[in-house]
Amino acid sequence: MLRVENLTLGYGGVPVLEGVSLGVGEGEFVSLVGPSGSGKSTLLRAVAGLVRPRAGAIHRAFPPEALGFLFQEDALLPWRTARENAALGLRIRGWPKAKALEEAEAWLLRLGLQGLGDRYPHELSGGQRKRVALAQVLALRPRLLLMDEPFSSLDAILRTGVTRDLLRLVEGEGIAVLLVTHDLEEALALSDRVYLLSQGPRARIAKEYAVPFSRPRDPVGVRSDPRFGPLLRRLWQDLEEVALCAAS
Amino acid sequence: MRRVLGVVGLLLLWEGLAAWGLLNPLYAPPPHQVLLTLYGLFQSGEILPHLQATFTAALLGLFWGVLLGGSLGLLAAFSPLFADMLEPIMLLLNAIPRVILAPLFVIWLGIGLASKVALSLVLVSVLLFFAVYGGVRNVDPRLVERVETLGGGRLWLLKEVYLPSLAAWVLSSLKVAVGFAFTGAVVGEFVAASRGLGYLLSFAQSTYNAKLSLALITLIVLFVLLLFFLFDRLERHLLRWRPRGRAESQA
Repeated sequence: MLRVENLTLGYGGVPVLEGVSLGVGEGEFVSLVGPSGSGKSTLLRAVAGLVRPRAGAIHRAFPPEALGFLFQEDALLPWRTARENAALGLRIRGWPKAKALEEAEAWLLRLGLQGLGDRYPHELSGGQRKRVALAQVLALRPRLLLMDEPFSSLDAILRTGVTRDLLRLVEGEGIAVLLVTHDLEEALALSDRVYLLSQGPRARIAKEYAVPFSRPRDPVGVRSDPRFGPLLRRLWQDLEEVALCAAS
Repeated sequence: MRRVLGVVGLLLLWEGLAAWGLLNPLYAPPPHQVLLTLYGLFQSGEILPHLQATFTAALLGLFWGVLLGGSLGLLAAFSPLFADMLEPIMLLLNAIPRVILAPLFVIWLGIGLASKVALSLVLVSVLLFFAVYGGVRNVDPRLVERVETLGGGRLWLLKEVYLPSLAAWVLSSLKVAVGFAFTGAVVGEFVAASRGLGYLLSFAQSTYNAKLSLALITLIVLFVLLLFFLFDRLERHLLRWRPRGRAESQA
């Protein structure tokens, strides 16, 4: 449903990324990993249409409204309650206020935020804020969700909880995901496919891995699968190699 | 509480010094006499037309000044052309003590209400211009990006991001603006008028009436404090989304 062909990105001088091709299928969970400075985030922003490519093409088999974003900062409106924040996207799409708030409340419930709809962001914990941001995006019923280190500011316990809920909803709704992360374990636990980017500038796709675990999947339980360890080790070795190549 | 004690202490000291005969009552009449004078002004009703004149001028100046300064600030914030044209004028107006314009306004607009409103308006609108202009520049860019990625255009940005984020800036400068509006009105009346608290003040000065002078100052302070209080309530209501600690430390 998403095809990126021979994409080159960057401003002036040497491009950050060069000749990158990748694809995301219907309902597929795909992760992008790579050393810092490999242009992972830039690539995601290009897919989102926030960065103009220097060369190459991005084909999307769906209208732009079917694209959802969740970036590192939660950026909820501090002057709006959790429910109003969750309803914001729907309101922008022209839903009447009452209906949008009702739908938003339903998504807050699905994300385990019952009874918190009237709270302002500063009255919520970091994890709860992430869930509100997630509700805001999922309420728009995207077909492809772009995420850039969405939970990196959370501690391990909160992060596991949010990730598990995210995976449940994404699998249930058949939403395709393109996730940028620096956490290899997380990438393996969540994805159907993982792309490894080489060190930038002129970063490209160094390796591609098919992740064999079945769905629906428990992102914690899957880590005790006997195939998980070897795959993670291979990913680590490749990442180190890629980073060393650039250093030499 | 301690702040109230400070004021009360000063007044008691003043009263005491006057009672001991250490202060000349002609120059520094004791507080109780000032209060009696104030009471007398209301009792006879002679203060009312003056009060009305000053209030009308200050509130009209405040209202139009907020509207004018606010909209010019928004224009400048969103259009580089307006910013380049307006900023030097506003900087100039901000740099000078704007009350020096009072005589000019009297020449242009006469000694009636208009010249006082104009002075009030100039004082307030320059303040609001910078509050709004600066406020827009301090809007969190992450919020702007968020609304944009959700598909929101300029109208949504204005309604959901810029205006609420400005409210915090504008509300705190509104409290200062109240004081400015009264400054404008009273100084305008001071320069040339036939009515108003400023006119009464200048009358008190020319007749060496310190008692009346102090009574009028007390009156103006009380009204400005009242307006401060009202704006504070408004601020608390509109900014209820703010974390408690911050709201209290600013209050």
